[in-house]
Order: sequence, then structure tokens, then C-alpha cells
Amino acid sequence: METNSVVKVTDLQKKYKGFELSIPQLGIPKGYATALIGENGAGKTTLLNLMAGIRLDFQGQITYFDKKEKLGCKVQERMGYTGPGSYFLPHWTVKQVEEISSLLFENFHRDRFQAICDELNIPVGVTKEVKNLSDGNRMKLMLAAVLARDTELLILDEPASPLDPLMRDKLCDILREYLEQGNGEHSVFFSTHNIADMENVTDYAIIMEHGNIVEQGFVEDLKEKYVSVKGEAEDADAARKILFTMTKNAYGFEGICLAENMDKLAGMDISVETPTLSQISVAVMKANTSLKFA
Amino acid sequence: MKLLQNSGIPIYQQIADQLRADILAGKLKEGEYLPSIRGLAKDLKISVITTMKAYEQLEAEGLVTAAQGKGFYVNAQDSEMLKEQHMRKVEEALLEAIHAAEVAGMTNAQLQETLSALLNMEE
Repeated sequence: METNSVVKVTDLQKKYKGFELSIPQLGIPKGYATALIGENGAGKTTLLNLMAGIRLDFQGQITYFDKKEKLGCKVQERMGYTGPGSYFLPHWTVKQVEEISSLLFENFHRDRFQAICDELNIPVGVTKEVKNLSDGNRMKLMLAAVLARDTELLILDEPASPLDPLMRDKLCDILREYLEQGNGEHSVFFSTHNIADMENVTDYAIIMEHGNIVEQGFVEDLKEKYVSVKGEAEDADAARKILFTMTKNAYGFEGICLAENMDKLAGMDISVETPTLSQISVAVMKANTSLKFA
Repeated sequence: MKLLQNSGIPIYQQIADQLRADILAGKLKEGEYLPSIRGLAKDLKISVITTMKAYEQLEAEGLVTAAQGKGFYVNAQDSEMLKEQHMRKVEEALLEAIHAAEVAGMTNAQLQETLSALLNMEE
């Protein structure tokens, strides 16, 4: 499927002590919601920070939107970012967040901000300071500030993490609404540990490990590339050689198989299912991790 | 549209099947635009890529056409193609009846008798 990229990354490299982020080529598809998945320490926050312009020290190229522009004021006006922790100063009140946002950004709509705060139930009392908000409310506040602007790209670092299940569901609705309003011009790029909660808003998935991208694709394509297989214990050893990842116990085995290898399992008593994005991600991460598994 | 999460049929397939039925039944008229992929995804609470895949399947089957920047609209269903689709449905239904008859232990003659009786009733 042909798609344009809203962000293009070329020859990206960044070295830390003991860690190197290395991405030769990456395009975030325009008009869709892309999930960045990976173990802690895989490099997700680093990548998002570089893309959002929070850190500028890297080698390589990151360009944005149709004109392939580099990061600058014009690009940043069209982008919204939320991150772990908070970028609002701790002693600001919600009202001050509104004031300051309208000063910082051309396209901040105060009425929209107020409406979203109301819709998300963010405590807006004049004396309520950011530092006294719960993690969930702080994230909601960042989301409200970002959604109150006219943007074309949202970069969200673990937006679902501090949110309760109800609010996570609402977040998915919000992201779908954002994509719909844009009619193909709005894009979202978010990282998540909770793939299951975000799966039904994820169009494209990027899986990272040790600073590299180890798998990526549209979710529907990944669900055809990988198959979930369950079988009998006696076939486990033979299956282990064919399956991408596998676990076994006394009752049988289960694992993920590449669809192209399925015919090698012929003759075994197996049942086959379409895997969830969560299962695919765990399988890919397992195959690439240093973490020890049985 | 009712979508089942655990039926083993991929969601995009269920959407395509439902829309195909609507198009063939004439509920969606020639030239009519399907809901936007993002609007439908929002309403059904699923990913955009899923509705996209459903629409692409219908396009591959010749039922809809993608108009750049405007969405997917229903193709004129020429009577040949429509007839073929309906014929296929009749065959599928008859095959089901044949299998059910086997399970019930009916003979072919009994099955044909039943068919004639039902046809007479319908008239």
C-alpha cells in the first residue's frame, strides 16, 4: 500500500554510554496512528525526543510533512507533544497553563481548551497547581493543551501509562476523532507498553529492540505475516525448529509462526489463529531480547 | 453492523461481507459514497487500517471505486455481475441444504420432493 510519510528519518544515529540508537530508514505513515513498541531501554523515548525536537543532538536527518522540512518554528507549530512527567512548571495552575499556551502558540484555542478540560474532568480550580495533580490528571492536562491547538502531528510518549482503563478507552476515541477530523492530514505517533489497550487504534506498528527497529508494518499486514499456533506436546520439539517463538508445557505447545513456514507444520495436530498485535509484539521482542526465557 | 471479536473471521472481512450484502441488496446505491474510512473506524471503535482493508477488498472485487480525496463510492452493479453473485448465493444455500439432508439421513429423492413442496408453497 502506498502511503506518504509525515516524518522521514534517514541514517539516524545517537550514541549513549552502552547504547546506540541506529535507524537507517523510517517513515511514519501520514493519516494513521503508529505505535512504537519495545522493552524499556530499547530507545523509544530517545527516538520520540529526537523527533519532537526535545533533543537536537543526533547524526542523520529527520524531515517533516509534505515539503520535507527540517525542524523549526513552522514545523513545531504544526506538531504537538506529550511526554512522561510533565513539561508544565509545577507551580502553574491550570488557568496559567491556558494563558501560557496561548502565548507560546499561534494556533491555541482557549475555548477548545476549556471545553476539553471540562470533557476530561480536569480540575480547573484557580488555585489547583500542576504539582498537586495526579499523574492521570497531569497527562489529561497535557493532552488538553495539545488538542486545543491546530496540529497535524501528535507525538505522544506513553500517553496511556498514567491513565485508568476508562480514560484509556477515551484516549483511543480522542485519537480516532483526531484522525477523522484531519481526513488523512492528521497523524499520530505514540509509544506504548500497553499494546492490548491501544491495539484497536493502532494502524502501523514499529517494534524496537536495543536501539534498532526489528519489525514494522501495518497491523493488518503483520497479522498475515505471523500466525498463532497451538499444538500437542509430542510435536513440541519438531515445532520448536519451525516456530518463530514457542513455549511448551506438559499439555502442549503454543507459539508464533511465520505464515510462510506454516506448511512445514503439515501433519501435526495443530490449531491456528490470527495473532493479536500484542502476541506478535511479544514474540518479536522475545526473539530479539537479552532477557532470559525458559 | 454487528462485529464479533472472537468469531475467527477478521474484522475487516466482517465489514466487507456486510457492505457487500448491502450493495448487492441495493441498500447502497450506485454512486453513493461509503462512510469515510476514518469516520467508520471512529464509529466502530477500530483502527483506520481495518476499515481501509475492508474497502480495498471491496474495490478488488469491483464493487466500489476509490476516488482520490473523496472516498469510496459504489459502482454500478451491472446486471450480469449481480446475477452471478446471486446465483452463487443460491448454489451455496443449496449445498448447505444437501449437507443438512445427508446428516438427517434423507435420500436425494426425498430432498427433491421437499424442494418441490416448498416451491409450491411459495407460489
